[in-house]
Amino acid sequence: MATSDSEDFESADEGQNTPIKKDRKERLSSSNYTENSRELDHKTKKTQSSSTDTVKNKEEPKSSDGWDDFDIGDDEILVAQNAVPSNTHVLQSNKNETIDSNYSQDKTTKKSEETKSKDTGWDDFDDWGQDDNTIEDPYKPIQTQPTRQETKSIYPDIQEVTEKLANTTTTSTTGGWGWGWSVDSILTTATAGISTLTNQVSQGISTVLETSIGAPDPEELARQTAKEKEAKANSPDGLESNINTNNDKVDPKSTSDAFPFRGLISEVTKFVETTGTKVISGGLGTLETIGKKTMEVLQDGDPGLAKKRALLGLAPDEKPVLSQILREAKAKADEDDRIREEKKEAKEVHYENLFDDFEGLVHLEALEMLSRQVNMRIEERMRGLSPEKRQDLKETLQQVAELCEMPEDDEDDNDPSEDTFKSEAFHERLQTATQDLGLKLQFQPIVKQYTEAIDWLSSGGELTEKQVYKRAVASLAQATALSVELYHKAGEMLLVKPRRSTADEADALTQMTAVLTKHVSELATLFTEKLNELQTENTEQIHNYITNIFLEAGNSSTYIQNAFQLALPILQIGAV
Amino acid sequence: MVDPIFDYQFRLILIGDSTVGKSSLLKYFTDGKFAELSDPTVGVDFFARIIEIQDGTRIKLQLWDTAGQERFRSITKSYYRNSVGALLVYDVSNRSSFEHIPLWMMEAKRHIEPHRPVFALVGCKLDLVGSDNKSESRREVSCEEARLFAEENGLHHIETSAKTGLNVEQAFVLVAQEVYNRIQTGEYKVEDGWDGIKTGFNRPNGTDFNLLEAEAVHSTCC
Repeated sequence: MATSDSEDFESADEGQNTPIKKDRKERLSSSNYTENSRELDHKTKKTQSSSTDTVKNKEEPKSSDGWDDFDIGDDEILVAQNAVPSNTHVLQSNKNETIDSNYSQDKTTKKSEETKSKDTGWDDFDDWGQDDNTIEDPYKPIQTQPTRQETKSIYPDIQEVTEKLANTTTTSTTGGWGWGWSVDSILTTATAGISTLTNQVSQGISTVLETSIGAPDPEELARQTAKEKEAKANSPDGLESNINTNNDKVDPKSTSDAFPFRGLISEVTKFVETTGTKVISGGLGTLETIGKKTMEVLQDGDPGLAKKRALLGLAPDEKPVLSQILREAKAKADEDDRIREEKKEAKEVHYENLFDDFEGLVHLEALEMLSRQVNMRIEERMRGLSPEKRQDLKETLQQVAELCEMPEDDEDDNDPSEDTFKSEAFHERLQTATQDLGLKLQFQPIVKQYTEAIDWLSSGGELTEKQVYKRAVASLAQATALSVELYHKAGEMLLVKPRRSTADEADALTQMTAVLTKHVSELATLFTEKLNELQTENTEQIHNYITNIFLEAGNSSTYIQNAFQLALPILQIGAV
Repeated sequence: MVDPIFDYQFRLILIGDSTVGKSSLLKYFTDGKFAELSDPTVGVDFFARIIEIQDGTRIKLQLWDTAGQERFRSITKSYYRNSVGALLVYDVSNRSSFEHIPLWMMEAKRHIEPHRPVFALVGCKLDLVGSDNKSESRREVSCEEARLFAEENGLHHIETSAKTGLNVEQAFVLVAQEVYNRIQTGEYKVEDGWDGIKTGFNRPNGTDFNLLEAEAVHSTCC
C-alpha cells in the first residue's frame, strides 16, 4: 500500500540519532571499569535501561502517526534501525535511501547483517563472564565491532588490553577514553556539586555536605586516586580524538559515584563558604570563577592532571571554563530548536493528513463500504446456486477481473502540448477514456486543480524550494483525493445504473486508471522540474525534496489503483 | 492547508427526503454560503468542520450528506454504520417530508445497530414560512407538532434556515454536545473498528515530540 512519506524520513532519522548518543554513553560509562569496580552494578542496570529505551523508540515512530500503519515495509526498517543502536550500516543505508530499485534488496541484506551484529552486540552485554576467551585477540574484535567488543574486553582485564592497544598503531581511535572523560567529569561534577551547594549554603553548607556524603577521608582518597591516575596516564597516548566526543555527554549516574568529587568536596566547600552570598546571587561570572577555582584546586591536589592537560593539548590558559561549556550547551539547545522547527514543518507537508483534508480518505472509505456490501451480495447469490452454475458465475467474475488488468505502460504519447494546453489535454483524455462508461462524471474539479498548479508554477513570482515542495505534496494529495472521489462516484452511479454493460465499463475504468496514474506522475514531474530550475546552493535539500515528491507520486498511484480494485466488485455485479 | 488541532472527531449523517435542504444546510454550516440552485446529491458527499463546545473541547465533525433520492436508497444504507449521530432533516413547508421522518429514523436505527446514535430533528427552510401570518400559510409542519414528536421519541428539535443562517450552527452544536456528554458519562466510547468517534490524531503530533525531547533532556542533565 502506501509507501513512506516525509514523516517516515523524519522518524528514521530520529531512530538513528538516539542510539548513537546511547552508544557514546556506553563508552563513557564503560571507562569507569578501569577506575572503580563497583561500577559494575551501575553498568548492568544501565544496559537494561538502555535496552528498554530502544524498545520505546521502536514504538514511538509507529504511534506518532496513525496513517503510517499502512506501511509495513517502512516499519520494518525502523525496527531494524532501532534495534541496533551502534550499527554503522544503519547510517549508510539510511543516507543512501532513494527510490532506487535496488533499494529493497539492499535493505534486506543489510537488515540481516544488522540482525547478526545485533545478536553479538547485545548478548555480550548480557553475559559478561562468558566472553573471557575473546580477549585473546582484542585487536581483531576492535576492528569489526569498535564499541561493543572494546567495552567487553576492557572489563575482564584492562591492563592487558591497554598494553596491547598501546602497542598497536590504531590506538588513536580506541585508547584512553577514561582520561579524557575524567577531566570532563570533574568539571561536570563540579558544576553539579556547586549548583547543589548554592541551594544549601544558607542552611550551613559544611554540615550538610559532610554528613550527607560521608566520605571517610576525602584528602586521603584524592591522593590515592591521583596516584592511580598518574599510573594510567602513562600508558596510552593519542587522546585528542576523544575529548570532543566526551564533551558532549557525561553520564550523570557514573559521575555522582566517581572519586574526584569526594576529594573536592572539602576544598570546594571552603571556597563556597568564602564566596558567600556571591554564590547565592548566582550569575555566570560567579559560576565561572568557581569553575576556574575548581580547576586550580584540582591541579593542586592532582599533579597528574597537569600532565593530562598537556596530553590533551590544552594550554594552561585555554582551560575549559564553565562558560564555554554553557555556551556549547546553549548552541546545542538552539540546534535542537531548529530540528524541532523542521519537524513541525514536515508535519505540515504530511501527505496523509493532506489527503484526509481533501476528503480523499473518506471517499476511499465510503467506496470500501460499497465494495464490501456488493461483495456480500455476490457471495449470497453464489450460495443459492447449483455447483455448475456457481462455476459459471465464478468464471464470469474472473473474466471481469481480467478485463480490469492494467495494460503495460506504453510510452507512446509524449504529448508535446504547451503548459497552457496540458490541462485541456488531460480533460480530453479523461473524457475519451470514459466515454463508454455511460455515466456523467464530474472531471472539472481535477482539471481545475491541474490548471491552478500549472498557473502557480508559471506565475513568474519568486518561489523558494520549500514553497514549491509544499505545494507539490499538497497538489499530489489533492489530485489523488479527487481521483478517489471519481471512483467512488462512478461506483455509486454504476450501482444505480439501469442498464449495465460490464465489458465497456471495465474497459473505461481501466483506461481512466491509466490516465489518472499518468496524471499524478506528470504532476510530480512538473514540480520537480521547477525545483531543478531554482537557483540555490542547497542542492542536498532539493535532492531530498525531489525524492520525496516522487515517493508521494508513487503513493498517489497506489491509492488510485486501490480505488480501482475496490470498484471491481461493482463492475462484476453488473455481469451476474 | 494545515490540519488544525481537535480533540475528537464525530461522524454525523444527514438523512431525509430529497430536496428538503440537507446539502444547503451543510454548505452553510461549513462554508457560510447559500446557493439558490444545486445539483441533487449523488450517493454521499462529505463536509467537515471543527467546532468548539461548552468546555472548550474541539470537535471535528465529519458530515455525511446522503442523497435523498429514492434510487440511491440501497446505496446510502451502506453508509449508516459508522455514525454516532443522525440529523433527521425535513422541510417545514413540505408535509410529506415530515411524515417520512419516522421511517428515516427506523432505517437509521436498524443500520447503525448495535450502536445507538444521537438523533436530532431538524426543520429546514424556515425563511420560506417566516413569522408573519401571510407567509405562515406556506408552513405545513407546525413547530408544536414537530416538538411533540421529538419529545415522544427523545430527540432534540430545531428549526433552521440555510438562507439566513438561522440556527444552522446550533443544530450541529446541539448534536455534538450531546455526543460529548454521552462520552463523559461513559455511554459512548472510542472503539476500534468503529469510526463514529475518534480521538484527534493531530494533538499527539506535538506531544509525542515533547516526550522525546523530555527524555533527551533527562539523559543529558544532572
